[in-house]
Amino acid sequence: MKQLITLEVNGDKHEIAVEPDTTLLGVLREHLGLLGTKRGCDSGGCGCCTVHLDGRAVYSCMTYALSIQECKVTTIEGLGAEKELDPLQDAFVKEGAVQCGYCTCGMIMTAKQLLADEPKPDEDTIRHGIAGNLCRCTGYHKIVEAIKTAANA
Amino acid sequence: MTNMNGMRGMSVVGKRVLRADAYEKVINGKGFPVNISLPGMLHGKLLRSPYPHARILRIDISRAEQLPGVKAVLTPKDVPQIPYNPMFFMPVTSAALTRDMLILSDVVRYAGQPVAAVAATSAAIAEQALELIEVEYEELAAVFDPEAAMRDGAPEIHAGVKNNIRDTPSFSAGDVEAGFRDADYIFEGTYETPRVHTCYMEPRVCVADTDRNGHITIHASVQHLYGLRERMAYALGMPVSQIRVVQPPYIGGGFGSKLDMATIEPIAALLSAKTRKPVRIEQTRYEDFITNARHPMKVHLKTGVMKDGTFVARYASTVLDTSAYATHGPVVILVHAHFGLMLGYRSPNLKWEGKVVHTNNMPGGAFRGYGAPQACFAVESQIDEICDKLGFDPIEFRLKNTRRAGDPHPFNPAWTLNSYGLPDCLKLGAERIGWAARAKPDSGSGTKKRGIGLAAHPLWVSGCVGFPDIYEHSGAIIKLNVDGTADLASATIDIGAGQNTTLCQIAAEELGLAAGSVRMSCGTTDNLPFDAPTHASRITYSSGNAVKVAAAAAKKRLLEVAATVMDVHPGDLEVRDGMIMVKGSPAQAMSVAAVVQRAESPYVVIGEQGPMPTTLSEKGTIMGMSSLAPASNPSPATAQFVEVEVDTETGQVKVLRAVFAHDLGRVVNPAGAEGQVEGGLQQGIGFALMENMIFDPDTGACLTSDFLDYKMPTAVEMPSRIESIFVETNEPTGPFGAKSLSEACLIVPAPAIANAIFNAVGVRVRELPITPEKILAALGKL
Repeated sequence: MKQLITLEVNGDKHEIAVEPDTTLLGVLREHLGLLGTKRGCDSGGCGCCTVHLDGRAVYSCMTYALSIQECKVTTIEGLGAEKELDPLQDAFVKEGAVQCGYCTCGMIMTAKQLLADEPKPDEDTIRHGIAGNLCRCTGYHKIVEAIKTAANA
Repeated sequence: MTNMNGMRGMSVVGKRVLRADAYEKVINGKGFPVNISLPGMLHGKLLRSPYPHARILRIDISRAEQLPGVKAVLTPKDVPQIPYNPMFFMPVTSAALTRDMLILSDVVRYAGQPVAAVAATSAAIAEQALELIEVEYEELAAVFDPEAAMRDGAPEIHAGVKNNIRDTPSFSAGDVEAGFRDADYIFEGTYETPRVHTCYMEPRVCVADTDRNGHITIHASVQHLYGLRERMAYALGMPVSQIRVVQPPYIGGGFGSKLDMATIEPIAALLSAKTRKPVRIEQTRYEDFITNARHPMKVHLKTGVMKDGTFVARYASTVLDTSAYATHGPVVILVHAHFGLMLGYRSPNLKWEGKVVHTNNMPGGAFRGYGAPQACFAVESQIDEICDKLGFDPIEFRLKNTRRAGDPHPFNPAWTLNSYGLPDCLKLGAERIGWAARAKPDSGSGTKKRGIGLAAHPLWVSGCVGFPDIYEHSGAIIKLNVDGTADLASATIDIGAGQNTTLCQIAAEELGLAAGSVRMSCGTTDNLPFDAPTHASRITYSSGNAVKVAAAAAKKRLLEVAATVMDVHPGDLEVRDGMIMVKGSPAQAMSVAAVVQRAESPYVVIGEQGPMPTTLSEKGTIMGMSSLAPASNPSPATAQFVEVEVDTETGQVKVLRAVFAHDLGRVVNPAGAEGQVEGGLQQGIGFALMENMIFDPDTGACLTSDFLDYKMPTAVEMPSRIESIFVETNEPTGPFGAKSLSEACLIVPAPAIANAIFNAVGVRVRELPITPEKILAALGKL
């Protein structure tokens, strides 16, 4: 049976009727049309669906919508200003950290959390910080470089 | 980056250009096929067999059909029973193809094979409906090991395929027996590689929509527009003109896996035809894992060597598990043999024998390197073994046996290795890694020991010209805009490697425009010229040549129009940085935009001075088109050097540093090229040390069907030092000298790592992946 939840997503309040097994990923993509958050595995294995929930990075595919009543969610669409990219987005573009790009939005959300926790991370901290996000194109090399660049921006 | 022989005067090619699609991908990546949604769309799901080998006796769909929200159910009797082969890059009716798959069949040959399909108003309802379909199976004996499958009395997987051996290709040159008699030394070994998955990140997905005339429009995450159209038409028994495949701006990775029609595309079309609604099917990750994977191979390699270190005879045999269906197996094994095992180095006497064997395993498919990583692991490991036993330096040994620029191409003597830089790759890579200081095997002390290893890949492709019955032509359309920019249309698909950016750079260079002034547009199979798939390291070379020719045609017209306006001869004009100028007198110039405006203007223009006629012959859109096959199939060449650290107590191997030296003819976009090297290394480290699909030995069920169980490198397993050396040999048949790169990046790392492990701890593992358990067993600690 459906139940109503209230969520604040990227600053906008939404009331959404969800099934008990609806995930936050499903809410974002299917109810709110926020397509930046990607489904890669539905099992917490790839990180493509990473968003911020009350300021913490989570796998939205592993988060039941009913468990996050009244929470604040930030997705990739909530990053950056109207005509300005977030420094991480900018660095991902300029460092060539984007190839197929399917992991990119989740990777940036994880990196955003990493830099919030540790504004000047060393390389080892960056590599462990993004170890829950898979990328199959880049070997992570330019992703790590982009995060370093953003940290120094 | 090292430029050996850089061409002068390029303003766009060779420059570090930002990808055109990166901006969209960091803000939302909305262009992926997974994001396609159409009004009124239904959701499809497939019911899959739990048995690896079975006959379907009965399917009862009555309960599923009654579930509210279910709009259609398909079983084998509801779909065309036209056997097909799903591979995109060969003509679907080719005599060389084995057509043994059906969209839905009443014989199941692997665990997870689709047996029925549902369309419903939501994915959840469709999934619920699957549980209501009753299938009665007659279980048949199954076999999963290729050696067991070949034995007399093994279960028969396809009627009439004796001992499950689908194909026994072979190849020979010279007299291999005589060569072995003459050899001073003979080395033999068996090398095994596992079934590994490409792990593209965007799931396979499609949305099919049927119009009132029965014409199907399909959006899909695949590597070939025309391949999907041709195969769907064939399997559905329709003319190709009734199917329109829409080009996405990009897809979320492919690496070869999306070079096949899966079951979802024809099923979505049939469900759409039945319901008259758009139908979307998105695979689960489990379904992605069992759709196709790299073929496991067992290679036996025997090499005769003379005292001076030259090869005199080489014999190899390969057993390839082609699985439940033939798919790519008979083609992969030929590429593996010629471009992997046999022709890379010079040897006067060669013989190879292959066996393509059916089992009840999941289908094999294409994966970056297409049979070469399995071969390279055998060849390059054994060269290291030979060098160790006979005391040769591995670089010197390879240089004795490698080919040189100007040699005939070993696959097709009508071609010449015009550009060929393997000796430079070996030399420059060795300098960079510090090869001269490399210690003898197992000479370190302590529990963590370091080693340096090398592997080369001497022969590979830039596309498929010369391969029997494989498509290779490309086309392009370039149209100039009144603001001085250009639109490029090509049926290539950007699977992530940056193909679109590279092609736009080639067009901009030829047209004399700035890098950002050429934009890739999206079309469909209705309005784009044919292009072979995005595969076989072919886009820069093959599609690049087509784009360059189309741009040259547009430029010719541009200069003709400019010449009439400027009242000069077209031959006296040149175009640079968006300006058309008289050669030698740059003050006499017009912008490209002004010339295009003139061509696009009405015949009589009303200006401030009143009506003014222009010239009729200059009217019309300035555009250029091409459709052509490239002149040759130039070989790139690769040498990879890695440094590893082996923990002799845990068996863990860490790759510390990688130097990749590659002759790609000419770099078009250095950042994109480095990205190929870095990503290829990641897949190569996975292949070498971690990745292996595991199946239940009794049921054949895939036990590594998500990213928690299938182990692949994360950022932590990757070295922070990955260095690319690009050797620019300027291939004369390539666009601005370019040939290919991508696949080599994944072909070489595994043997380089195996050789580095030997250098570190003195043990040789001939079976991938080289897990800690295998290291410890080899060290006598298990």
